[in-house]
Amino acid sequence: MALKKTTSNAAASADERQRPRDLPGLLTALADPDPLARRWAARDLAGLPEASSGLVDRLAVESEPSVIEVILTSLTRIGDERAVAGLTDCLRSDNTMLRNAAIEAMKQLPDEVAPWMGRLLVDPDPDVRIFAVNVLESLRHPQVEEWLIRVIAEDAHVNVCATAVDLLGEVGSEKAVPALHALKDRFGDEPYIQFAADLALKRVRAD
Amino acid sequence: MSANPVSLPLAISDEDFRKFREFFYRKTGILFEDSKRYFVDKRLLERMEATQSDSFRAYFTMVRFQAAGTELQTLINAMTVNETYFFREEYQFTCLVNSMLAEIVARRGDSKRPIRIWSVPSSSGEEPYGIAIYLLEHWPQIDQVDIEILSSDIDTSILTAAREGHFSARSVQHLPANLLAKYFRRRGDHYQIVDSLREVVEFTRANVTDPADMRLHRDFDVIFCRNLLIYFDDLSRKQTAESFYDALNPGGFICLGHSESMSRISSLFRVRKFPEAIVYQKPWGAR
Repeated sequence: MALKKTTSNAAASADERQRPRDLPGLLTALADPDPLARRWAARDLAGLPEASSGLVDRLAVESEPSVIEVILTSLTRIGDERAVAGLTDCLRSDNTMLRNAAIEAMKQLPDEVAPWMGRLLVDPDPDVRIFAVNVLESLRHPQVEEWLIRVIAEDAHVNVCATAVDLLGEVGSEKAVPALHALKDRFGDEPYIQFAADLALKRVRAD
Repeated sequence: MSANPVSLPLAISDEDFRKFREFFYRKTGILFEDSKRYFVDKRLLERMEATQSDSFRAYFTMVRFQAAGTELQTLINAMTVNETYFFREEYQFTCLVNSMLAEIVARRGDSKRPIRIWSVPSSSGEEPYGIAIYLLEHWPQIDQVDIEILSSDIDTSILTAAREGHFSARSVQHLPANLLAKYFRRRGDHYQIVDSLREVVEFTRANVTDPADMRLHRDFDVIFCRNLLIYFDDLSRKQTAESFYDALNPGGFICLGHSESMSRISSLFRVRKFPEAIVYQKPWGAR
């Protein structure tokens, strides 16, 4: 039979990497022409808290999706202020993959993202406000309901409110009831808002 | 309000169930049909009692917002009961011999490099030995192409057990009698895998969440990682998937458990819908 005992198992695999795995060496590797080398550099940089600036800078010029994904994972792992600032910048990107990956990354950092949320939810760009609500979808933070109530009470853009009211149906409580009624009044001729607000009202009252 | 409030038995309303079902699907990709209502309610009520939650809402709020995410993980564990036995989720083995290997062999031309398969976690060895048996029985090209099977686990004691290859009657219950007779030896009340298979399956210790361990595992054509990632938090799951990407050769495949979906974890892989199974592939041409 041709089932063979492996001759290249983990214990025998050599580490072929060329550069020192310290911050300068890894930042150099982060610009390597080979995406595999860049991915490994980005992965190893997750263990160095001072690496977030270098990772954010690389994100601005990186075009290979597989490297972008690893950089975002490492920024999430580091999670310092510079990393979060870099992630929030991605919400303005025209690159859909980068934007969506950044939203997923931000969901993992409730306490670190919280100080930014107030600003993001009043951003002049309604798309950024929608993406901020998308972050709230899985953000484990006690202020989520409060932020969503503020959105449906104050945001003038129907799509932002629609995104927020959907989520309120899941995370809302009786506290959201007045704002939900006010939302229905404000968008009386928007069938989707009527439907979503009614569903949210039904759910927040179901106990 | 009553002066002597009576504590009502905990219950899950229809709306609670629907709300929980949507949330759980978004978090795990597992969708509970109405027919699973009794199962879901029973486990939710158990967890509500264990956490001393006085209502579904209180419990759901804790699961949804608990910063550490530990109760969500406990709940996922309670909702996903796993058991290891030979030929579990056999349709993926069928996919391996009918579809995945056919594509790999066709693309590699006349390369003499062995095809490498990684089974992780090894647990007590049912999966890697099961793959070996399946290849010997169902893949005609096994006589022409060399195959290496490596299996890894974080637990060194389970690796020792896997190398020994002793299995309970329950573990081998789904194997046809002829295969049991061919590949196992009866040892009292259990079965031991034959030496010829013990000698070809390699076992190594690896923590899939540790980049240093993962860096040493590479050049695989197929990875089986079934019913492991679901127990990780989101970030560890993503990091592990990214490490698997670099452990695979271009065009290599990864098989996850039936309730797991790579699409919810990472966008690096292509979804491949073969007749037998949905698996995930590192694109040909990827570096």
